[in-house]
Amino acid sequence: MRLGVLLLLAAVWLALSGPYTLDGWLIPVFGLVSVAFVWRLYLALERAAGGGFEFFRASAWLRLPRFLVAFAVKVAAANLHVTKLILSPKIELHPRLRRVPASQKISFGQVLYANFITLTPGTITLDLRDDELLVYALDAESEADVMDGSMDRDVLRIEGSAD
Amino acid sequence: MSGALDIATAVLLVAGGFFCIVGGVGLHRFSEFYQRTHAASVTDTAGAGLMLLGLMLQGGLSMVTLKLLLVLAFLLFSSPAIAHALVKAAHGHGLELEIEDEPGRDGDAAG
Repeated sequence: MRLGVLLLLAAVWLALSGPYTLDGWLIPVFGLVSVAFVWRLYLALERAAGGGFEFFRASAWLRLPRFLVAFAVKVAAANLHVTKLILSPKIELHPRLRRVPASQKISFGQVLYANFITLTPGTITLDLRDDELLVYALDAESEADVMDGSMDRDVLRIEGSAD
Repeated sequence: MSGALDIATAVLLVAGGFFCIVGGVGLHRFSEFYQRTHAASVTDTAGAGLMLLGLMLQGGLSMVTLKLLLVLAFLLFSSPAIAHALVKAAHGHGLELEIEDEPGRDGDAAG
């Protein structure tokens, strides 16, 4: 995994600055130094978190396209709903708090699920504790998006632990 | 650059701008902090997403598009983290939520 992060950082640097600057020697050296520096930061972060981070298996990349489509559809629908709420002549909100189980096996999956909910307009994650999310929703329709568990399943699927 | 592509870009840019404005309008029309964070997330997702998509059409298959994709990716990682940090800080320091019902609070099972 650590090697994977190093490769990813190098790839990002190459993509952003590499193609235009590889003919000299100074800029590539700067690139190497900065990649090494950020990798060092990552290692320090890992130590501060008390042990290795758990990530998805590499095969999750294969399931990423399907997840992105599901993500885009849900976020678009939620955006239209909240836009309707904002532009309606009289603003009628029925805000509510809900505890939502996050059934992902590893913390990375739970964080991805929490961020998914926060990114979806109309719902926001207040807290993540004991495998449960505290979700604040604008109204019943926004709440239903989360409570029906479809987003939970989307994240489970990319995690690779869907039934 | 073909005409159809330019038109698609224009439509996406205008639509993105529309959602940015809607987010701003929502910031003013909603009445309290927690509701306003939802309005802001319209700007973050639909507004920025559609605009970047429109720009990617102009970039074609190039480094420019790759960079725009990276911008979008970083945005999608950072904006929920920021929104969550804001809301959690407000909640943790006791800013009250205006809630109609909260059956799921204080240890109950999810409602």
